[in-house]
Amino acid sequence: MKFLTILAPAMVVAAPAAAQVMTPADYVATAGASDLYERTSSQIVLESTADPKVRSFAQMMIAQHGKSTADVKAAAARSRVKAPPPSLNPLQTELVAQLRSEAGPARDMAYVAQQKASHNQALTVQQAYAADGTAPALKAAAGAIVPVVQQHIEMLKSM
Amino acid sequence: MSGKVAVASWKTILATTLMTGAAVAGAQSPQSVNAPPPPAPPPVATQPPRAAADMQAVLDAMAALGAKPIEQLTPAKARLQPTAADGARTVMRRQGMSTAPDPAVTTRDVPYGSDPMQYARVYRPAAAPAGASMPVVIYYHGGGWVIADVNVYDATPRLLAKQLNAVVVSVEYRHAPEFKFPAQHDDAAAAYRWVLQNAASWGGDPAKLVLAGESAGGNLAVATAIYARDNGLAQPRHILSVYPIANSDMNLPSRRDSANAKPLNTPMLAWFGHYYSNGPADMQDPRINLVRANLRGLPPTTIVNAQIDPLRSDGETLAQAMRGAGVRVEQRTFPSVTHEFFGLGKVVRGAYDAETYAIGRVKASLTK
Repeated sequence: MKFLTILAPAMVVAAPAAAQVMTPADYVATAGASDLYERTSSQIVLESTADPKVRSFAQMMIAQHGKSTADVKAAAARSRVKAPPPSLNPLQTELVAQLRSEAGPARDMAYVAQQKASHNQALTVQQAYAADGTAPALKAAAGAIVPVVQQHIEMLKSM
Repeated sequence: MSGKVAVASWKTILATTLMTGAAVAGAQSPQSVNAPPPPAPPPVATQPPRAAADMQAVLDAMAALGAKPIEQLTPAKARLQPTAADGARTVMRRQGMSTAPDPAVTTRDVPYGSDPMQYARVYRPAAAPAGASMPVVIYYHGGGWVIADVNVYDATPRLLAKQLNAVVVSVEYRHAPEFKFPAQHDDAAAAYRWVLQNAASWGGDPAKLVLAGESAGGNLAVATAIYARDNGLAQPRHILSVYPIANSDMNLPSRRDSANAKPLNTPMLAWFGHYYSNGPADMQDPRINLVRANLRGLPPTTIVNAQIDPLRSDGETLAQAMRGAGVRVEQRTFPSVTHEFFGLGKVVRGAYDAETYAIGRVKASLTK
């Protein structure tokens, strides 16, 4: 009996662990911030780049990350989750400031380096929610965004 | 049924805790990036030594960017956290320095396997003439095999390419918990074979080969040299292992004196193990517990450590073990700096000193 009393709290700790996926509101805010950063950074590089490859990639990012924000917003409405206007997190704000501090080819290089890092993070967010998300419409939206981000990552490998 | 499973995993946790005296997560975690973190180990009161002002500025910038304690997060959330490299770039921008990649080095991403993570970033000096025959450095990034990637660890391979006038191949690899140990060691070995076959096409001379890595990648550098020896492959001329994971004893001095250090603390080491291992037996595998591996016949080695780092004793004990096995090894612990300091030489004096030391050692082994 005494043994069981000692055992009980430990069993709580070792109980089969459920996934700790982001909440629907967290997912909407994180995905929205990620898209906003993509569009903002792409707009900055378009102001200065002379590289046609960077230009066409940045234009594509503005279009496709605009679409994913609209898709997540629509799915949020179906899941009855609030989707307030997204805002950049402190790291994304700093990355934007770094891009603004660069000019010419250095800005292009900083942009491509940032895109490679941020797309891997975007993929993490979308894959994580697509796997275990609790709001079905948002989960489906995440699943549809995953291959788009994967395509961007493959494009970036040639840049 | 679920009750039996719960008791079994509880016994594993209890046994592991009793054996090591530390909270190493014994039960296998699922392969999901949403798998919850292991239970928090008991708090340790010991506070680490104070970092140098320039090192502390990077840690403060990291905190201001919103870095949360990794050991309390899922792998998915941990991968979104700002890194020491992010903190360093913030400091550089504030000091009026450029944060753009150094254009003296060009990069190309090339696949070495079928998984999207099985690719390498090939760094070449921009001024390298066609038909050059440069040294080749195979570099493995850190992140406890769970977080970070070749993008986070850009500074060191870029610096090595420039300073050594070398082709540096920074190897990406499949991450845990999606792919658990030994997937990362398998990928590191596959990439090594692939580089031997392809180095010449990048202007590299496979006879002038160096293995390098930081943290989990510092482990892979040594483990891959062992793999090359055991499989009769061409040997590297030198190993540069920066604060490697090398000793699974959770009671090492640095595990205690740097228990609450930043950006790496002792609970994070248990957190990484929880996700990359299939259970406690993996922690005793000589590919992870390098101090118990057969180290005979390995090439000259340089081990770099930071004073304020729970992995400091790993490097120190690995150097002892290598010396005991007859390897020509030199190990240095740099004062008042923390884990992840290497590569931050533009803003941290101790990092500049360590980089100069390490590059000098590698250069000397290549000119012999």
